[in-house]
Amino acid sequence: MIAKLADNIYSPLGTTTLDNYRAVANHRSALRRYRGERDLPEPFTASLLDRDALPRFGDGYTPFERLAIASVADALGRCGLDPTGGDVLFILSTTKGNIELLDPHCRGAWSDERLAPAVAARVIAGHFGNRRAPLVVSNACTSGLCAQIAAMRAIGAGTCRSAIVVGADLQSRFIISGFQAFHALDTEPCRPFDASRAGLNAGEAAATVIYTRADLAPADAWHATRGAIRNDANHISGPSRTGEGSFRALQAVTQGFDTVRLAVVNVHGTATPYNDEMEAIALDRAGLLDVPVNTLKGYYGHTMGAAGVLETVLTMCALDHGTVLATRGFNTLGVSRRVNVSDSHRPTAGRAFVKLLSGFGGCNAAMLFEKGGER
Amino acid sequence: MNIIKRVTITPAGAAIDGYPVPVDGRGMELLTALYRHTAGDYPKFFKMDPLCRLGFVATELLLDGDRRNGCDDRAVILFNRNASIANDRRYQATIPHDSEHFFPSPAVFVYTLPNIVTGEIAIRNRYYGETACYILENNDQTIIEEIVGQAFDADPATTSAVAGWVDFNTEVDFLADIFLALKQ
Amino acid sequence: MEQLVEELKKNIIEVLNLEDLQPDDIDAAAPLFGEGLGLDSIDALELIVMMEKNYGIKIKDPAEGKEIFKSIDAMAEYVAAHRTK
Repeated sequence: MIAKLADNIYSPLGTTTLDNYRAVANHRSALRRYRGERDLPEPFTASLLDRDALPRFGDGYTPFERLAIASVADALGRCGLDPTGGDVLFILSTTKGNIELLDPHCRGAWSDERLAPAVAARVIAGHFGNRRAPLVVSNACTSGLCAQIAAMRAIGAGTCRSAIVVGADLQSRFIISGFQAFHALDTEPCRPFDASRAGLNAGEAAATVIYTRADLAPADAWHATRGAIRNDANHISGPSRTGEGSFRALQAVTQGFDTVRLAVVNVHGTATPYNDEMEAIALDRAGLLDVPVNTLKGYYGHTMGAAGVLETVLTMCALDHGTVLATRGFNTLGVSRRVNVSDSHRPTAGRAFVKLLSGFGGCNAAMLFEKGGER
Repeated sequence: MNIIKRVTITPAGAAIDGYPVPVDGRGMELLTALYRHTAGDYPKFFKMDPLCRLGFVATELLLDGDRRNGCDDRAVILFNRNASIANDRRYQATIPHDSEHFFPSPAVFVYTLPNIVTGEIAIRNRYYGETACYILENNDQTIIEEIVGQAFDADPATTSAVAGWVDFNTEVDFLADIFLALKQ
Repeated sequence: MEQLVEELKKNIIEVLNLEDLQPDDIDAAAPLFGEGLGLDSIDALELIVMMEKNYGIKIKDPAEGKEIFKSIDAMAEYVAAHRTK
């Protein structure tokens, strides 16, 4: 078993986990409407960072690397972990890394090498004096959970003692134009699980979680106890009509676990018509319709490679404050199953939750988290 | 973990457990020739980006004789260096800053993720088990076998795996080096 | 119209990478989606791009595509009536 030592969320809503929690608790959303941004012909709604406000750490880092470093630096500052040790593994979760460097307007003097995500990961880990070969997890939108599962496995197998998991993605012209071509974006703030939902919003953020062997962490730390990755084996972009992979992943992490103990299932909830319906079917099949369900996309949009880490960390912080966060943008249930969508911030005494994600390539991932010690 | 079969493909040719596969062609033509030699009746192949084509034909060669169609205990765990860069460049070419020629292609965009190849393999064989894509700087067999071994140990549902290196940079610079592994 | 039908067949084979098909293999009256050519939702999105790129026709809602892309004949009629280039 592995336990959390420290974490961070670096987003347009704040640069620490606590600042982010307070912003969301106060019903703030980072979603704004942009026109002409990224030199795109069509307007879009997204959660974007102020690039000028990103710390520079000297001249050797791209904006993507600066974002990841800023998030890791804050998390490291909150625990005594020495990141230079050979027993510390860096794991980067990203879908597109430095991809904006392909754009002549963003290219600058950066070399082609920086486009390789493992090179960016080495640069980020190197900033902290870590010389061990980093691992990059790039499993589309499930990356942030798959990266935490990789940390569980590596620590469990003893190949490292601690793992620094950082999820990050920037929203480039590349990504937004692609989702526009897919007609997957809502031009308004997204409305997850709502009857009127019309698509997702893109979001920029980084988030970090530092894990170590459970016996090396305080007893009341959050523990990542189970993780599973399953494929729909159905279509590379369309969610499964039967929720196949998400159902199987949920089943794997909840089997034998008393789901009454779950405070919430924090789902993907991108607000595309097909995704939310697919998750509703998967939740039903996994027997989880009674458990409160929420999604954070209405505050942050879809933060891609950061999503799995950010949404896990924010859910931990909210439960530490005795709260199941509201699903912003949700009003009237618009899926075929009676999902218990959390429509307002609700008090909870729960100390366990499930996090669910799915993505292109038919991948689905779920994890079970439990807080240690006694309340 | 027990590795029972290995397939390698370079721009110059393909081999199964070191024995050359008798097909002609180089680069992308080699991949098409391998497709004709193996599947032949899966027109979706021609919709795939180069990375997926490489992973697809490598897997077809690997699974000949042990396909286990429609199972949930076989994982697909692939590694590479260049993510989806060859296709990313193709997509970038559809979104120039000159608006006259700005026509982002959804069919190209969908392949701008390195894990799509694991999905294509899962769809082809109806594998509902774990699929994962990891990116490393180098084709390091020690790390690869370590991570595949951890997947067996950590998830009791996984009893076999299609795993290894599938990397596509350019038509003259690609490598598939994959293996079929059993838990026992 | 016949010329447009032939042109659409060629374009579709090219943009949808229907490598093993010849224009003559496609029945202009038959349904494009479903069993026929094995096209899927991504192909439908790519056809929307083709309509704008080749004929200057903007289709805002993919749901509209369902009617327009019923068959090559239906597409040809729509293109003839709405093309701006």
